[in-house]
Amino acid sequence: MLELKKINKRYVDGRPLIVDLNYRLEPGEFVAIMGDSGVGKSTLLNLIAGLDTPDSGQVLMDGVDIASLGDDASTRFRRARFGFVFQAFHVLPHLTLLQNVGLPLLLNGLPLDAAQKMLDAVGLKDRGDDFPSQLSGGELQRVAIARALVHRPSLILADEPTGNLDPDTANDILMLLREELKENGASAIMVTHSIAAATMADRILLMTKSGLQPAPQ
Amino acid sequence: MSTNRSITQLPESPSVRLSTWLLLGAMILLVIASFLGLRWKIQEFFTLDALRTTKEFLTGFAPPDFSSSFLKKGLQATLETLSMSALGTIIAGVVGLLLALPASGRAGATARAGVRSVLNVLRAVPELVWATILLITAGLGPFAGTMALAAHTTGVLGRLFADALENSSPLPEQSLRDNGVAPFAAFLYSTLPQALPQIVSYTLYRWENNIRAAAILGVVGAGGLGQMLKYHLSLFQMHQAATVIIAMLALVAGVDAMSFWLRRMLTR
Repeated sequence: MLELKKINKRYVDGRPLIVDLNYRLEPGEFVAIMGDSGVGKSTLLNLIAGLDTPDSGQVLMDGVDIASLGDDASTRFRRARFGFVFQAFHVLPHLTLLQNVGLPLLLNGLPLDAAQKMLDAVGLKDRGDDFPSQLSGGELQRVAIARALVHRPSLILADEPTGNLDPDTANDILMLLREELKENGASAIMVTHSIAAATMADRILLMTKSGLQPAPQ
Repeated sequence: MSTNRSITQLPESPSVRLSTWLLLGAMILLVIASFLGLRWKIQEFFTLDALRTTKEFLTGFAPPDFSSSFLKKGLQATLETLSMSALGTIIAGVVGLLLALPASGRAGATARAGVRSVLNVLRAVPELVWATILLITAGLGPFAGTMALAAHTTGVLGRLFADALENSSPLPEQSLRDNGVAPFAAFLYSTLPQALPQIVSYTLYRWENNIRAAAILGVVGAGGLGQMLKYHLSLFQMHQAATVIIAMLALVAGVDAMSFWLRRMLTR
């Protein structure tokens, strides 16, 4: 699965951001990462996704060093193996919900019928022809989760997925994410500032300048 | 923050600075100086002699020549003008969109500045000047007119398309890139659809403009209704000239209506 080996990353001005970080994510595990602002949580997600490269160390996904892949190979790898959920949803406004969810299938050359099943699974069964402007924030995040999971990626990366939602909706969304992860056998790493959100994960890790440690109970 | 002012009371007007008054005064003086400098002889329009010659000139147009042989020639010239404007706009739309990609900064700041300079040059030279240049190289006829329209309109549309692409939200495209979508596909699925209503609207609007411009270009020998109008006016064949003017008005009105309808259909 995912293994981070002695990851180091510096700011542009040379100050250290992430120092000798090691971690191993087990298959099917749902991990929440918490920590102070500026400690490098989002940078870590970008390094795992191959959107940024470590100054030293390795990000291994099923034995493949992501940083060693070229631009095109990294793009294809990301498309097939990862799903992303963002705080601001990033649902395409000019596509219907069904088209939004079907997009990863189309780009991966997979059968499109999984899109409707995924919409059903996130509670938007009869909304496939609606446009994002007709949805609430919670519903938009359901679409984003459906889009992230529809092509059966092995790892979901979620950056503050409930940051724009009220507490009740956030709880519903995380319950849904958890259920769908189990259903699809995917792992997930979620960066969050919310303790309530983090408690929905299997493990909570605290990110500090010393690396990732289990959060105190 | 507490305040004693009633919520129904309007805020006080901002004080106007002396420099604002001076600037306003200078602008008024410039307008007056412009009128004086032009030696405006507006009264000469309304002398009895001027009114009589104008009346004679205008009555000379009646009746327009509606003979079938002349109408046939007029229809052919109308179609030529329509084709020039449509082809010129299509070429400009395609080339303008291709140039808008680097001009919107997608290929770096240097390419952006370089392509925007090219667009500025294309736009700064009017259609009539382009037509004159191209008539020398390509000879008389609608080809030079079409290319003249295409050259100027590429400058206009390229700049407008680039601004529309630049003003689109970058987040949808970035999220697709993060999800492993190739750069061009991410552009096609996210940024282009955001800018498309504006792109369509600008193109149709420029087509309307190009219909009028195509009619004028004919006067310098670029074919179509303009060339026909110049020919008959120069021979004082006013009845035929009147028919050509009616054809121009009908063409412009027809295209305006069609463009308005298309824009409503495509951008709603």
